[in-house]
Amino acid sequence: MEIRIKGVSKYYYAEGKTIKALDDVNLVIPANHIFTLLGPSGCGKTTLLRCIVGLEMPDTGEISIGGDVVWSKAKNISVPPEKRGLGMVFQTYAIWPHMNVFDNVAYPLQVRNVPRDVIRQRVEKTLHFVQLEGFEKRPATKLSGGQQQRVALARALVAEPKVILFDEPLSNLDAKLREETRKELRAFLGKLQITAVYVTHDRVEALALSDSIAVMRAGKIIEVGTPKKIYFDADHRFVADFIGRANLVKATVRAEEGGFTIVDSGLGAITCQHRDVAIGSEATLCIRPEFIRIVRGEAAAASNLVNGRIETLVFVGEAYEAEIRVGDELLLAKIDPEAQLNEGDAVSFTLDPAHCLLVAI
Amino acid sequence: MTNARSRLTYLLIAIVGALTVCPVLMLVLGSFSEGLTAFGVFTTDKYVEAYTDPEFFKVMINTTIFVLGSSMLSTVLAIFLAYLNTRTDIPFKFLFGIISIIPMMIPHLLFSVSWALLLNPSNGLLNLALMETFGLDNAPFNIYTIWGMILVEGLLDLPIAYLIIAPAMASFDVALEESSRVFGAGSWRTLVRVTLPVLRPAILAAFILGVVRSLASFAVPSVIGMPGRVQVLATHLYEMIATGFATDYGKAAAVGMSVLAASVTLIVIYRTLTAESEKYVTISSRGFRPTVVELGKARMPLFGVVGVLSFVLIVLPVAVLLYTSFVPYSMVPSARAFSMMSLKHWTDVLNDPISLLSLKNSLFLAVVGATLGVILSVFVAYVIVKVKTRASGVLESLSYLSFSFPGIVIGVGFMWFFVQTPLYATIWALLLGYIATYLPYGIRPMSSAFIQIHSHLEESSLVCGASPMTTMRRIIVPLLIPGIVSGWILMASMFVRELTLSVVLSRPGTEVLAVQILRFAEDGLWGRLSALGMIMILISTALVVVATLVGGRFKTA
Repeated sequence: MEIRIKGVSKYYYAEGKTIKALDDVNLVIPANHIFTLLGPSGCGKTTLLRCIVGLEMPDTGEISIGGDVVWSKAKNISVPPEKRGLGMVFQTYAIWPHMNVFDNVAYPLQVRNVPRDVIRQRVEKTLHFVQLEGFEKRPATKLSGGQQQRVALARALVAEPKVILFDEPLSNLDAKLREETRKELRAFLGKLQITAVYVTHDRVEALALSDSIAVMRAGKIIEVGTPKKIYFDADHRFVADFIGRANLVKATVRAEEGGFTIVDSGLGAITCQHRDVAIGSEATLCIRPEFIRIVRGEAAAASNLVNGRIETLVFVGEAYEAEIRVGDELLLAKIDPEAQLNEGDAVSFTLDPAHCLLVAI
Repeated sequence: MTNARSRLTYLLIAIVGALTVCPVLMLVLGSFSEGLTAFGVFTTDKYVEAYTDPEFFKVMINTTIFVLGSSMLSTVLAIFLAYLNTRTDIPFKFLFGIISIIPMMIPHLLFSVSWALLLNPSNGLLNLALMETFGLDNAPFNIYTIWGMILVEGLLDLPIAYLIIAPAMASFDVALEESSRVFGAGSWRTLVRVTLPVLRPAILAAFILGVVRSLASFAVPSVIGMPGRVQVLATHLYEMIATGFATDYGKAAAVGMSVLAASVTLIVIYRTLTAESEKYVTISSRGFRPTVVELGKARMPLFGVVGVLSFVLIVLPVAVLLYTSFVPYSMVPSARAFSMMSLKHWTDVLNDPISLLSLKNSLFLAVVGATLGVILSVFVAYVIVKVKTRASGVLESLSYLSFSFPGIVIGVGFMWFFVQTPLYATIWALLLGYIATYLPYGIRPMSSAFIQIHSHLEESSLVCGASPMTTMRRIIVPLLIPGIVSGWILMASMFVRELTLSVVLSRPGTEVLAVQILRFAEDGLWGRLSALGMIMILISTALVVVATLVGGRFKTA
C-alpha cells in the first residue's frame, strides 16, 4: 500500500523552546517498496515512523495509508494505532517477557478474535518463515538477541499487514549478527509483497536493504533516491557526506566539455560528472576514498592525474588508510593493503570523472 | 488516547488530593476553631493556649533530645553495619540482609513492649535475673527514661537507615579510595577524609528520615515514655485528645501544625538529598568489586557485635513475647517458670469480645484496605511514570505528600473531617485514613514496576491491534503482578499493625489490634498483650506467605 505524507510537522516544547521534530514533511512511499528513512540521531526519522504508525500525533498535515486517511489535522481525523492494521518491529523488539514465543506471535490474531485453529496454523507458518519452527513453547526471556528479533518480525508479519515498519531493528545486535540478520531480513522482505518503512542511522544497512532511501536532517527530508543514486550521485553535500566517507574539496566551475563539467580546485583542474551549474559558480567536489587510484609512473596519460605526498599511512586490515597531501588539501584514500608504500612517499593518483561528484556548497 | 489519559490524571488528582489535602486543610481550620462541635468559629485561643503552656517547653526539649539521639544512634549503627557488609571480609554476610528486612516485619509497638518486658524497673526479666544473680536490692536498669526511648527508637529505625546507606556504599567508586591510599593515607584516614564525605548525602538522608520517623513515632513514646513520665510531642498530643475528661482537638491541632510543618520541611530536604546521592551513585557504578578491607584480628569480635545486634533486633522481641504469653506473671525463665506455663492468656484473649472485634477489624482493614490501596496505587503510578505532563507532576507531589505525615497529627486532621460526616466512628473512617496515609508505600513498588515496563511493550500491543483496555489486561497488568504483590504485602502488613492513626480515629466498636494491645500495656496485662501480639505477628507472616504464593501462581500462568 502506498503511504502519502502531506505537510506533516511535529513540534516539541522543552525548556521554553520549540523543537521542530518534523518540519513540513512531504513524502510518497510507493507500494511494495522497501523504503528507508536515514539520518543522524535526532533528525526526526523515528518521529516520522511513529506518526505513520499512530503512536504520535503530528501537529499539522495529513497522512494516508493505501488511500485511507489515518491522520488529518484539517479533517480532524485521528485513527488510533490499533485500528491502522500495521505491523511494526521495535528497536527493543518489545517481546513481552511474560509470554512464550507462541503467545507473542499469536497476539495480533488473538486480539482480532481469529479462531484458535487458524491462529495455530498461521503462527506455525510464520514461525517457519522466520526459521523459528519448534520454538513455540520457549519463554520469551530465554531467547538470544537474534531470535528475539525474528520473533518480533514474526509478530509483525503474522496478521499479514500491507505495511510493516522497522525502527532501527538491528541496532541492538552485535556487529557480526547484525550483518547476518541484515541479509536474512533482505531475503524475507524480498519474498513478501509488502510495503516496508525502515528507520536507521546506519548507512550500510540503508544501502544494503532499501529500494529507496530518504535522507533526513533536522526534521526535513533532504533527498530521496535509490541507494546508487544517493551514494554516487547525491545532489546535496550533506547527503554525499553522510552516506559514506568523502573528501570534500572547494571548487569553482570553469567549463562544460564533452558531457563533463570541469572545475578548478585545490587539486588542479578536475573533470567531473556533468552538473547543470553556472560557469564561475562555487561548488563542492566530493571524492570517495575508495575511488582514489594510486598509479605507477607509466599511466601518466590518464585524465585527472594528481600528484601528492603520503602524510600518514595506517593499516586497518582490508586496506591502508592514507592521508595524501596535495597542496593545501589533505585527502583520505583507501589503498590496496599489499601496496609497497611508506609515509613520506610521493605518489600519483587518478580520479575517474564518473566518481567526481559536484554537490551544492 | 491523550484525552482519556488526561481525564484519568485529573480524576486521580481529585481522589488523591481529597485524601491527602483534606486532613491537612481540616487540621488548619480546626486549629483556628473553638472545638469539634463548634467548627468554623474562628479563634486563635488554641494557639495561645498550646504554645504558652509551661509543659510545652519541657515537651519540646524532650522531643529534641529523643529525636536527635535516636536518629544519631540509628545512623551510626547503619554506617557501621553497611561498612562491614560492603567493604570488609566479615563472615556470614547473609545476616546483614536479614537485619535489614526482618525487623520491619516486627511491629514497632511489640518491639517496644518486649524491651519494657525486659528492662522495666519493677519486674523486667533482665532486671530480675541480674538482681537474683548478684543479690541486688534495686533494679540496675530502667527502660522508662529518655535514654531507654532513644535506644529502642534507634534500633527500630536502624533497618531503614541501613537500606539507604548500604547501597550507596556498595556502589561507591573504589578508585576514589584507592587514589587516597596511593597518595599515602591509611585506611582510617581514607575512611574519614574520602569515604564518609562522599557518602554524605546518603548519610544525611538516612539521618533526616530517622528524625522524621522518630518525630512521628508513637509506639516508643507511649509504651516506654509514658510510664516514666517522659513526654514528647506525640504523647503530649495523645494526652490532649485521648485521656482526661476534657479532650481538646483544637489545641491538639494547633500543636500538630508545627509538627506537620517540621515534618514536611524535613521530607523536602530528604528528597533533595536522595536525588543528590543517586547522582553520586550513578556516576560511579562501574560494576567493579570494591577492594575488601581485611579485618584481621578484629574480624571475630566485630562479627560478635553484629551477631548480638541481630539477636537483639530479631530473636529477642519475638522470644520475649512468646515466653510472656505462656507464663502466668513476669518471672525469670527457670524450671519452675516452664512448669507453670499454660495457654491461659491465649484463651483469655480469644474469649475477650473486644480483642476478637479488634482482630476482625484489623483483618478487614488489612485485606480490603490493601486491595483498594493497591488499585489506587496502580493508576497513580501509571500516570506518574507513563504520562509525563505537568498535571502528572502535580499528582506525584500530592501522592508523596502523605509520606511526611506524622500519623497522630494527621489523625487529628482526619478527626476534624470525619466528625462533620456520617463516617465518624465507623470502620470506613479508619479505612480512608489508612489508605491516605500509607499511599506512598503502595505507589513506590508500583512505580518501580512501571519503570521496568518499557513503553515499547505497550506500544507494540497497540500496533498489533489491541485496544488500550486489552493492552492493560494482557500486557501491563501481568507484568505488574510482582509489583502488585509486593505493594499489597507492604500495605496489608502495615495496616495490620497500624497504631498512630488508629489511636486517634478508633472508637468503641472500631477497635483495632494495635490499639487493643496498647490498652493491655496501659493496664499492665502483659500476658494477654503478648498473646495478642503473637497473633498479630502470625497474621503479618501469613499475609506475606499467602500473597507470595498467589503472586507465584500468577507468574507461571
